Amino acid sequence: MSVIVFVLSGAFAMCVPFALAALGELVAEKSGVLNLSVEGMMALSAVMGFMVVAGTGSHVLGLGAGMIAGAGLSVIFAALVLLFRANQVAAGLAVGILGMGLSNLLGRSYEGSSVTALAKIRVPVLSEIPVIGPILFVQDIVVYLTVVLVIVIAWFLYHTKPGLRLRVIGENPETAYALGMHPVAVRLACVAFGGMMAGLAGAYASTILTPVWAQNMIAGRGWVAVALVVFGTWRPIRIALGAYLFGAVGLASLSLQSLGVGVPSQVMSASPYLLTIIVLVVISANSLRIRLNAPMALGQNFSPHG
Amino acid sequence: MSFPGLTLIPRTRTTPLQVLMVSVTTVILSVLAMVLMFSLLGAEPTTIFQSFFIEPLSSGYNIGEVVIKASPLILIAQGLAIGFRAKVWNIGAEGQLIMGAITASLLPIWWPQSDSMLLLPAMIVFGALGGMVWSGIAALLRTSFNASEIIVTLMLTEIARQVLYFLLTGSLRDPGGYNFPQSVMFPDAGLYPIIGTGAVRANASIIITLLMTIGCWIFVNRAFAAFRLQVGGLAPAAAQYAGFSQKQAIWLSLLISGAAAGLAGMGEVAGPIGRLQSMLSPGYGYAAIIVAFLGGLNPIGIFFAGFLMAIVYVGGDIALVNAGIPSAAPVVFQGLVMVFYLGASLFLRYSLVSVFTLADVKEPV
Amino acid sequence: MHKWTSRILTTLALSVSITGTAFAEPFKIGYLLPNPVSEIGWSSELAAGGRALEEHFGDKVELQMIENLGEGPDSARVMNKMAADGVGMLILGSFAYQQEGVKLAARYPDLKVVHIGGYLQGPNFSTLTPRHYEAAYLCGMASGMATETNSLGVIAAFPLPEVLNIMNAYVLGAQRSNPDIEPVKVIWLNSWFDPANEKASTESFASQSVDVVFSLFPGTPAPVVAAEELGIYVTVTHSDNSRFAPNRHLCAGQLHFGPTLITKVQEAMDGAFQENDIFAGVQDGTIEAAGLGGPLTQAQKDEILAVQEEMRAGTFNPFTGPIAAMDGAEMIAAGAALDDGAIKGMNFLVQGINTNLPK
Repeated sequence: MSVIVFVLSGAFAMCVPFALAALGELVAEKSGVLNLSVEGMMALSAVMGFMVVAGTGSHVLGLGAGMIAGAGLSVIFAALVLLFRANQVAAGLAVGILGMGLSNLLGRSYEGSSVTALAKIRVPVLSEIPVIGPILFVQDIVVYLTVVLVIVIAWFLYHTKPGLRLRVIGENPETAYALGMHPVAVRLACVAFGGMMAGLAGAYASTILTPVWAQNMIAGRGWVAVALVVFGTWRPIRIALGAYLFGAVGLASLSLQSLGVGVPSQVMSASPYLLTIIVLVVISANSLRIRLNAPMALGQNFSPHG
Repeated sequence: MSFPGLTLIPRTRTTPLQVLMVSVTTVILSVLAMVLMFSLLGAEPTTIFQSFFIEPLSSGYNIGEVVIKASPLILIAQGLAIGFRAKVWNIGAEGQLIMGAITASLLPIWWPQSDSMLLLPAMIVFGALGGMVWSGIAALLRTSFNASEIIVTLMLTEIARQVLYFLLTGSLRDPGGYNFPQSVMFPDAGLYPIIGTGAVRANASIIITLLMTIGCWIFVNRAFAAFRLQVGGLAPAAAQYAGFSQKQAIWLSLLISGAAAGLAGMGEVAGPIGRLQSMLSPGYGYAAIIVAFLGGLNPIGIFFAGFLMAIVYVGGDIALVNAGIPSAAPVVFQGLVMVFYLGASLFLRYSLVSVFTLADVKEPV
Repeated sequence: MHKWTSRILTTLALSVSITGTAFAEPFKIGYLLPNPVSEIGWSSELAAGGRALEEHFGDKVELQMIENLGEGPDSARVMNKMAADGVGMLILGSFAYQQEGVKLAARYPDLKVVHIGGYLQGPNFSTLTPRHYEAAYLCGMASGMATETNSLGVIAAFPLPEVLNIMNAYVLGAQRSNPDIEPVKVIWLNSWFDPANEKASTESFASQSVDVVFSLFPGTPAPVVAAEELGIYVTVTHSDNSRFAPNRHLCAGQLHFGPTLITKVQEAMDGAFQENDIFAGVQDGTIEAAGLGGPLTQAQKDEILAVQEEMRAGTFNPFTGPIAAMDGAEMIAAGAALDDGAIKGMNFLVQGINTNLPK
């Protein structure tokens, strides 16, 4: 029982980096830009956030520094694809490698050091409820913030005018341009927002989730975030659920091992990735669902001259 | 989008001179950035320049190192470019490389005493098949269930890594190796012959890479299939109209790129490594994506881009010793080279024209 | 800047030697580390060994340390370059450098190679392996004493033979000081490096009433930091991690590479380099139990340190029978002790561990 509570409760913190980065990537993709540099953005912002928390002791400043770092790197990416019209896949990978390199370079003197973790908030009364209380109401502030962000982004994309414009640009930038919208400016904003979210995710990973800096500590989480966008068929709530599922499966595979379940540990380690493929297949097999939600112009650069 | 007072007109064709200009611009910008960055890190610019661009080409050993580094990069990039031209995004060449290395290793692990002439050719076939099976899964899921090959190939890479760990801690482990997670050393018949003398590690796997490059060049320039692939990827409707299937394009792209990555993995275990071990590739599968784009998705371009990347890698290792730079610095440099190239290559695809003279420019037909 | 001065010095030295004065060239050592050097852990302890060399030999040695080299085939290039540049000795800090080290030692007659953590032998080639398991046994004793739930958990990366002998020694130590210990739980990370999962594993153990975790070959101090936060005790290999868990640090196997490396460098400088397989433990001053803390009473600490003294005197081997494997089969007969070869190649887990070992 306590193991189940641990997995369901711990999965919230584990899923925050996935969810934040994936939501940011979702907004960029909804505007038609595929940014594959998430891993690099997270790595750079993880080290920036860590340096600031180590220096000032303030997690707020650390998360802010991470967001600035993520946004900064994403603007380089945006310049490549929006201004220089480079292929989005190639530009994302290039900027991602740049971010990884910078992260390792800047983090050298912080390697293996730790900062104070952020205390979890016990919501009064609610956290006393058996089972549900410890699962839902003993979490750090960013977990609650993430829940809010999921709802705000879902509302923004599907229930506001700017959200609608953003989606139109992702579907058909030429038409949007003809209607007087500014695809390039909107895409720049969306990519920068995605960078900020990836930055928040990275800084959270290094200063709150595991308050230790170590080179390559993002360990592929940025790629999982990219996968989660497709996994959630470009819908914010589904993406958040997918992220939670991913966090829970990861924790469950560790916990099952320690219970001595007779499955090779490598199968456990591979299980989140296997699960992603299986769910992806199930979701994608219904092509209508993909067609309804995938941005038509994803990955295609826009030029007003055709 | 707009530089003030200027506008961009798509080019219908590029001349070799323009390609050269863009490459030269990239190199100049990168070198400037590099000198600046390494100076900030306290290294002497002359030592850095010497390490990156002179020393890698200054001895037989170092040239050999450039070759063994360039060979897998080019091989994988050629395969990937076929798919990329058709907008089929195989991002998981790293996993296909691992699978190819595993399958190719089965033969020398089963017959560690073999001196058969057939061992190496059989390993080549097994390696290619291993990579194809792994990319074939992505092709199957894409064509049957419409599952994004970007995600599937990425996830399969992590799974391939766990398969490798599983086999190395179990059935493929060297029984005489103190249970370390690595296989027996391969017999000589299971290794590519070394080209060169002394410490040189370059081997005959470069021949496979050269054949692949020539094959791709012919494929792209001559073969009708290339046209089919491009049509299939770019415009499914047009492809169906012309009687070509998008499915065929996906299958062909993924199988070829998987085979190439598998061969590259086979080349590592049958080359510089000489056995199956947990650490097989320093990210060749990802770096090859960059090489493919740096080479403009053109087989000849990829060939040169692969060598350029290899020189930067080898130069980075040399600079670690000569200039004492941190090992992350060459990675930053690689990122910068790519960013500059992708920026500069705008001018390959578009010409920058003043808006005031726009009226005089003939619109491309 | 340092480069310049050394170059000027070299030039000076050359010109002086031309004029006939004897000016000894420093003995050049290339020192290669797989990971970044931090405050604690494998690479940091190796780096500390390098500093010990510099302190001991002063100007007589010139040490070039390259950290974060990784473990792929690329590392061979750096080794080759250093050998070709004429270093007198290479010290290789990763198992992955073994094969190339043997090749280089055979190719360059003037080059001596000290490889850490392998098993191969060759001309001009020595291998040095710390007996981590000795400290693990002592830390196991500490864990057995400290646990109140009788439930211990081990976080490990891969089931290497060295990892198995450390895990076994740890469990044997715990069983010695606490016969009521439950089968020890294990999480295999299948990665040398994953701080988030290292931390999550610690939390997972805590949720299963484990109150002492053993972080075996950690990539980062994440499990130690997590243990302090969770209020459970932690033991760890490589370095004293007390600073990361001031209240919850129970025991650590602290490495000291200095003494053995000084011996090897001295041998090489004297032209008397021995090609040997050094399995260095408490007796050689290479490892010791450190950071003994938590709830241990002075009497308990003394009991642990008394066993350490037996190890130093060479009278105690943790792998002395009767010892049974996980499935109950007898692995070491009563009274018999495993020799070093069998310890290095260990491929079984002792009774009292609850995990799934790949066959």
